[in-house]
Amino acid sequence: MAASNTPPAGGSEGGHGDLTPEERDAFKKRSEALGSRLEAAKSQGTAAHKPGAVASDNAANSGALGKAMRISTEMIGGVAVGSGLGWLIDRAFGTWPAFFILFFLLGSAAGMLSVVRAGTAMKTGASNPKAGPSVRDDDDET
Amino acid sequence: MGLLSAAAFAAGLVLSAGSTLAEGADHGPIRQFELNRYIPINLWGFDASFTNASLYMVAAFTIITFFLTSAMRTGALVPSRLQSMAELTYKFIHDTVRENVGDEGMHFFPLVFSLFIFVLVLNLLGMIPIPGVTFTVTSQIVVTAALALLVIAIVIVYGLYMHGLGFFKLFAPSGVPMWLLPLLIPIEVISFISRPVSLSVRLFANMLAGHIALKIFAGFIGTLLAAGAWALLSPVPMALTVGLTALEVLVAVLQAYVFAVLTCIYLSDAVHGAH
Repeated sequence: MAASNTPPAGGSEGGHGDLTPEERDAFKKRSEALGSRLEAAKSQGTAAHKPGAVASDNAANSGALGKAMRISTEMIGGVAVGSGLGWLIDRAFGTWPAFFILFFLLGSAAGMLSVVRAGTAMKTGASNPKAGPSVRDDDDET
Repeated sequence: MGLLSAAAFAAGLVLSAGSTLAEGADHGPIRQFELNRYIPINLWGFDASFTNASLYMVAAFTIITFFLTSAMRTGALVPSRLQSMAELTYKFIHDTVRENVGDEGMHFFPLVFSLFIFVLVLNLLGMIPIPGVTFTVTSQIVVTAALALLVIAIVIVYGLYMHGLGFFKLFAPSGVPMWLLPLLIPIEVISFISRPVSLSVRLFANMLAGHIALKIFAGFIGTLLAAGAWALLSPVPMALTVGLTALEVLVAVLQAYVFAVLTCIYLSDAVHGAH
């Protein structure tokens, strides 16, 4: 051991774990760089999975066609369900067309509501404005 | 990219060939959605025949099981291409559920993943043209409605289980004046009921419209070819068919993802309740 500690003996090129001061410095620098990169990666993994999530969400809404289909089916669904309910009530009570008209209007309003919700969700990037805060709360608590 | 366009070109070629054949046999663009009973089965008065829809669903189930098990069999630290595909799909849906439902909703991940990959594989299988056999299960509203009703039933049952009757506060947003409630509650209820409707209609209508458009444009090729000098124009619908095929593959993937995302959004209501 004592022999290999002497610098001119050539222990460093043998690679038995004995390092020259320069090599030691270089190693320290490299391990520090690795440590900081690991930290960066870790903090990205825990706190900032948001940006990636938003990106994937934009991918989902990508394509004007998909957007248009989503919005239009929301509207159609609202009107169809409203009119259907009104028609059923009218058929049950024989009051045609009072409830049909009322529920057609309510259904249109419901369709509008869904469209506005889907639209704001697309605009903000998050698919669900309701889920947003609750996810953030969890991050705050931990 | 080159491979994709080549595949799309080949698909268009086969499809157009299939449709010209079909036209000769008096097949319209709607004919591809017909159920064929391969093995008639009658269970207690119900028609439970093994149809082409059943065949495609069994095929999808087999493909999914084979793909996932063979991809993850080795479980290598450095994944192969197949394993990469499986892991990316898993991670993708995992992040979607995590982002839209939150960590407390992660036990719904198996449901969302199953729905996504089932719809995706059915959509994509429908894009492979096999004259006389090809059938897109997701173009049947009975299938998409069953899936959507399953999702909504889970939302209602889980919401009631988690929040009790407080789940119904979903229909009465906080901070609304009392006199507005009689108007607002019916609107919210209708909006809630319209969810399974729009969820199922969206998927079904996309697949139906896409396949009809494909068939019609492919039909033009045959019509033009049979119209003397007009045959010179036949490459135009051919090019359109190729483009449409690529678009339909995109729609197939996108709609499967949209179905999964909306499932997550609705589940989030059940998990978090009204705010």
